[in-house]
Amino acid sequence: MSGTRDTAAVSTPAAALLEVRDLHVRVGGQAVLKGVSLSVRAGEVHALMGPNGSGKSTLAFVLAGRPGYEITSGSASFEGRDLLTLAPEDRARAGLFLGFQYPVEIPGVNNAYLLKAALNAARRERGLTELDAFEFLSLVRAKTQLMHIDESFLGRAVNEGFSGGEKKRNEILQMLVLEPKLALLDETDSGLDIDAMRIVANGINSLRAADRSIVLVTHYQRLLEYVVPDFVHVLAGGRILRSGDRSLALELERRGYDWISGQAAA
Amino acid sequence: MNVAATLQRSEVLDRVLRDYRSVADSLPGSPSAHSARERAAGQLADIGWPSARDEYWRYANLRAFERSAYRPAAVSSAQSAATLSALQREGALPPPLAGFERLVYVDGVFVTGARSVAHADRADGSDWDWPAELRLGLLCDMFASDAARLYVHGTAAIEVLFLTSSAAAGAAVYPRLQVQLAAGSRLQLIERHLGAPEAATLVACNVTIDLGREANLSHYRLQQCGRHVAFTDTLWARVSEQAQYHVRGMSFGAGTARTSARVQLAGRGASVDWQAIAAGRAEQVHDTELRVEHGAPDTRTDETFRGIADERSRLAFSGRIQISAAAPGSQAQQSLKGLIEGTGAEIDLRPQLEINTHEVRAAHGASTGRLDDNLLFYLLSRGLDRQHARGLLKWAFLGDVLRTIDLPGLRAEAERLAAGQLPDVPVLAVLP
Repeated sequence: MSGTRDTAAVSTPAAALLEVRDLHVRVGGQAVLKGVSLSVRAGEVHALMGPNGSGKSTLAFVLAGRPGYEITSGSASFEGRDLLTLAPEDRARAGLFLGFQYPVEIPGVNNAYLLKAALNAARRERGLTELDAFEFLSLVRAKTQLMHIDESFLGRAVNEGFSGGEKKRNEILQMLVLEPKLALLDETDSGLDIDAMRIVANGINSLRAADRSIVLVTHYQRLLEYVVPDFVHVLAGGRILRSGDRSLALELERRGYDWISGQAAA
Repeated sequence: MNVAATLQRSEVLDRVLRDYRSVADSLPGSPSAHSARERAAGQLADIGWPSARDEYWRYANLRAFERSAYRPAAVSSAQSAATLSALQREGALPPPLAGFERLVYVDGVFVTGARSVAHADRADGSDWDWPAELRLGLLCDMFASDAARLYVHGTAAIEVLFLTSSAAAGAAVYPRLQVQLAAGSRLQLIERHLGAPEAATLVACNVTIDLGREANLSHYRLQQCGRHVAFTDTLWARVSEQAQYHVRGMSFGAGTARTSARVQLAGRGASVDWQAIAAGRAEQVHDTELRVEHGAPDTRTDETFRGIADERSRLAFSGRIQISAAAPGSQAQQSLKGLIEGTGAEIDLRPQLEINTHEVRAAHGASTGRLDDNLLFYLLSRGLDRQHARGLLKWAFLGDVLRTIDLPGLRAEAERLAAGQLPDVPVLAVLP
């Protein structure tokens, strides 16, 4: 199964925003995902946990459309559309956002320009008018404050010279500006100190809404103290071995991942 | 093969000298100017025409220069003035920059400009003995009629436009620029080559720079000639004690463009800061050979090149920095990067450091490749369309140099020209 709906109580069935079914993916000839199924409905927050090399980031990249992954079987749909046939930019405009584990530095590309271009691309897709520079600045100013980001960041090159924590906060700032329907946040908590963790969590929580879903990819349950998930899944060896509610994350914290891997092997 | 190549080079040289003989008596200037021409012709005859077998000319498209007619365009001052008037009426000239005095040369002939800060003389010869690697500079010494001579005492801002008109099509144009800054003087100098004759035309320019003690020259060079032009410029700069030479080079135009440059850091604390970009498309060939000689202690070089080769174009940049035994305490930094965009495009980068003393800080790096897939994916994942994302990354690549252009009007112009050379890339005012 590896799915989710049967292990957590949800009283009002609704169509899934993201539906991944029996997804198999190879990288460099090596099978990395071996039949992942995951169903995420609007308004839900899912945590995807697992040991190193379990395929968490691969799943996030495949869903976001990064080249270099061979999808051998299975499917993924987003609002009923076949996600895997869409170009990465079309997935983004459709409302899917990937928060990178290692945000790239792009020397020479201005943060504000990228944000505005990305936002206006999304607005065009939604049939909204593009924002001019003044409107954009008004909008982004409030978001930078929420993320404790100095406005001078906007004039700097994307992530260039940023600390690890600043890069992660910048990812969340982008998410807040773009207001995606589904955010896949790949280890957004890694490398954050406690204060930065709170800021990032506040940013994520501010975006929780009935029509928006979040998938948190993480190793640790610490982030989940601040962003409480509706569902927790354990991905190991390319499969989701167990799904549950928040208590599963707490159990993992106590017992580690070997416990589940061992059960699966048995 | 070698015999054939030698014969061919000999034939080219014969043709150069024959063209020279045919016009020598009619070229303007004093007897000393004629003597200087003769001396230049003799030097070229001794040195010979360059060969692609010589490492220094390996990446130059010599054939383009060998196909040229060397006879200067036969235009009078009146014709040049009429051409300029017509271009002005058509709005074909770049907008003037505030604070800059403009000198204009059409087909190598001085037409207009302020004489308050500069002299525009009949060519009066040159006391610079061009070495073999700068030998194409001799063409200009042989054939040029006028020279833009700038003697600056104090502070000045000057733009020199070298226009090549259709009247020069099928012939040659010889722009010449001679700059001398007195001790402590400052000059902002824009040197711009433009014009699009409708048939093959040789534009052979030479530039000499002499910076006195603590002088400061910011030299902005834009080459934006039409595709029928085979363009070569030869630059020689001497930089005295504590003087600073800043170059912003932009090579966008011409079918073939070759820059041969030599900078001598001759006094303690002299420095050169050479930032250049080239963008080629179609079958353009842009090639630069830059040699910087550190001949005194505590001298400094900062050298950056960014080139984008699209379609089937070829770019080359060779930067040789020589630090002599007389130059302890010198610093040298080279960063050469190429971006290959076209399937048939080629980029050759050669950073070279020769260090003959201790106590030197030097670093160099060169890389050539295609757009980084990771950066591209990041932008796509934010919803930018592919063309926009690629354009943004190309723009950012050139930004290393473009953002060092400290004249806003000129920078905007350079960005517009760069965008024109990059297929499907709009002008993006986004550089941090």
